[in-house]
Amino acid sequence: MRAVDGVSFDVKRGEVFCLVGESGCGKTTTGKALLRLVDATEGDVFFELPTEEYRRYEELRAGRAPDAAARIDAIRRKYSFSWTEQLAWDTRQILFWLGAVAAAFVLGVGLPALAAAGIPGALVNTGFILGASLLCGLLLGVIGSLPPTRPSARTPTVLALLSILAFNLFPIVAALGWPATLPGAPFDAPGIWATVWGASSFAMLLGVIVAPIAAGAASKIVLARRRETEGLLGVKMRTLRRRLHLIFQDPYESLNPKQSVFEIVSEPLVVNKIAHDPEEIAALVARSLEDAGLRPASEFVFRFPHELSGGQRQRVSIAAALALEPDFIVADEPVSMLDVSIRTEILQLMMDLREKRGLTYLFITHDLGLAWILADRIAVMYLGKIVEQGTAEQVISHPKHPYTQALISVVPSPDPRHLVKRTILKGERPDAVNIPSGCRFHPRCPVAFERCGWSADEVAEELTSLSSGGRLPGIIGIEAQDSRAVTLRMAPGVSAGVAAATLRQIVSENRDSRLALKGVAEIRESGDAIQVTLQSWAEPPLIELGPGNAVACHLVTPPAEAVPAVTA
Amino acid sequence: MHAVDGVSFDLDEGEALGLAGESGCGKTTTALSLMRLLPYNGKIVSGSILFRGRDLVKVSDLRIRKIRWKEISIIFQGAMNSLNPVRNIGQQIAEPIILHEKVDEDEATNRVGELLELVGINRDRRRDFPHEFSGGMRQRVMIAMALACNPKIVIADEPVTALDVMIQAQILELLERLRKELHLSMILISHDLSVMAETCEKVAIMYGGKMMEVGKTVDVFTDPKHPYTQGLVAAFPDIRGQRTMPASIPGDVPSLINPPSGCVFHPRCKFAFDRCTAAEPALAEVTPGRRAACFLYPGVPEVTPRPMTVEAR
Repeated sequence: MRAVDGVSFDVKRGEVFCLVGESGCGKTTTGKALLRLVDATEGDVFFELPTEEYRRYEELRAGRAPDAAARIDAIRRKYSFSWTEQLAWDTRQILFWLGAVAAAFVLGVGLPALAAAGIPGALVNTGFILGASLLCGLLLGVIGSLPPTRPSARTPTVLALLSILAFNLFPIVAALGWPATLPGAPFDAPGIWATVWGASSFAMLLGVIVAPIAAGAASKIVLARRRETEGLLGVKMRTLRRRLHLIFQDPYESLNPKQSVFEIVSEPLVVNKIAHDPEEIAALVARSLEDAGLRPASEFVFRFPHELSGGQRQRVSIAAALALEPDFIVADEPVSMLDVSIRTEILQLMMDLREKRGLTYLFITHDLGLAWILADRIAVMYLGKIVEQGTAEQVISHPKHPYTQALISVVPSPDPRHLVKRTILKGERPDAVNIPSGCRFHPRCPVAFERCGWSADEVAEELTSLSSGGRLPGIIGIEAQDSRAVTLRMAPGVSAGVAAATLRQIVSENRDSRLALKGVAEIRESGDAIQVTLQSWAEPPLIELGPGNAVACHLVTPPAEAVPAVTA
Repeated sequence: MHAVDGVSFDLDEGEALGLAGESGCGKTTTALSLMRLLPYNGKIVSGSILFRGRDLVKVSDLRIRKIRWKEISIIFQGAMNSLNPVRNIGQQIAEPIILHEKVDEDEATNRVGELLELVGINRDRRRDFPHEFSGGMRQRVMIAMALACNPKIVIADEPVTALDVMIQAQILELLERLRKELHLSMILISHDLSVMAETCEKVAIMYGGKMMEVGKTVDVFTDPKHPYTQGLVAAFPDIRGQRTMPASIPGDVPSLINPPSGCVFHPRCKFAFDRCTAAEPALAEVTPGRRAACFLYPGVPEVTPRPMTVEAR
């Protein structure tokens, strides 16, 4: 099931972008996919994509250049955080690094071995041991940092420590592999270890120093390489999380009741190692709380969520989101659980912080009224697709899509003198598991017409309801044959010609009250049955009406040349 | 603690009254008191509920049972949680019918079918369980249940909260239609003033367990008298109006355990003066047909302090 499909928008720095739609239309899923709290199956989320790179990306996508895919991937690798190919590192690159290890092996073991051929005595052991330590370090450092491991900032240190262990195990493993080196003696791991340390303790000591240095350095080099080629992934995503934050919907559920306000707000600071010094943490927490309007902060830090009112809780949520000084905040219905009189204060606070800290918001809401006062630009979603997109004025004051028009018409007006004609849509949004064909909105659309995607099932259902109302005399069986045709069977003794004529008349009479009948293209008798063929349909593409303003509806004509529709 | 205090309103036949206010201001408590459904730790200390010449506070438990649901019914808040998940909705709607009307099961089933069709659900779905319905549909079931015994008054407690705007419009349209068709009186409880603007003839604004203003909806919205009402009306964004941030009312809802002295709203009121902290204004007529509890209007009397009643649990 696709909860969200084909959604594309860009949020400019310092902007408030609103995603509007009914519940279950995929707003929250989109918001979470942006922060990679859920992984998108395909598509990209670009962060801080330079305009010229974006333009190049668009050109590459539109054009048919032979190397477009590779060049798009290069951009995606660098800026997209839904780039998921990080685990499949280039085989060539892996071979390169393994080659480097082989070279290290030759240097580490081969050279001392060569030397051993010339210089007899104790030096041989020293050379072998140092070579082994170098080998252990490099092998661990490189292999441990290559994909598919998911690197973190701690990886080199961990690998360095592991290499000490590996180096100490090396003689034992060697003895296991070549028992001939210790002829006759029973295998005794601690014994071998003690013998090796006893025999060449100076070399072993040197090895203990060399191995972690080699491992750490190799790991750092490989990771630096990965960071370059894999862009935002792996190492960087974690640091990026600091700059992207989420404010949750329900302040009563999203705060841990066992944590005090101080713990809630300081947790991101501690987790992300922004501050270690308790005093510094306290100062940062106090600053976030005061920025979020909880003044004086000292009065709130030791309270628990149950000691706060709803508005104060939401302020704590905001303070926790602000603690890391993010650039981009996804606010998922931040005021829907709050009382009206408090709501405005929270919104005002969010807008003030935008000025003060240069924040960018993605605001998710079902309330068009809120979108109207807050948003610079709005995207209206329906069943996982954007149906209309544009500036607040374009979308709210001059809506083009019938869904947007209906949504706006039902927003209750606080002024009883301004009663507007409301367009109340029938039914509820369809299940995302079973998405209507063609335009997803057509079953509920008040102005749906021929091309919108009426399926045989819908037409058959409408005909059945006519028939059960006694409007189709002589017809006893209505059946959707395949996706494009409906078969009607007649009662015995009824001529197909007469029945088809009645049907034609009934269909043309009821086309405007029963919109599904608009999907009927042809009625023709075939033997003892009537065959109803359906109109061909197309899914409306998102038609660009102007810069940033787009609508997905067949009723909207593109400004200049016709955009080819995607035919199913 | 007085959760609700000094609340007084009247409801004519076929009229819709909106009861508005922030959460915790006593809207639901008022509604439950009307049906004498307060939980064991709540009690109506004083006052009267006059229904067709009878005081519901004084009638016996046996009598009130006859009145509940048959005369006054309620659409409980939170349709998601108010239905019994292990019984199908037909049984749940039939229950009050069988209890109150002394009819046999067939007739009750028949009536359930009628009720479901009345609220726009196919009658064949009566065997379905609550989880098989969407939020809007469950709300319709709750409405059908409230209408089961042809009541005179229906109390709708936050009927559209937590529903999508489109479903919200559908439910409000349904309530409006039913009210006209069945000549119901309705008390619509909501925190959302804009819901009332389109459905109710009268509104009562509550704050901190007290009534702040009562009057005709159009008047209250266009010319609010009480500062709290003024704040509330200004706090709503109007999609058909200017793109400006609506005004806010600074501060928080007062605690009812330790209410502020004098007028409950004075700590958040921008017009508060010394009299507001000292005495409590009573609900009095400020203009014809309009009552408000605010000292800004001459002639608003003070509430005579009541001796503190101590209740033993």
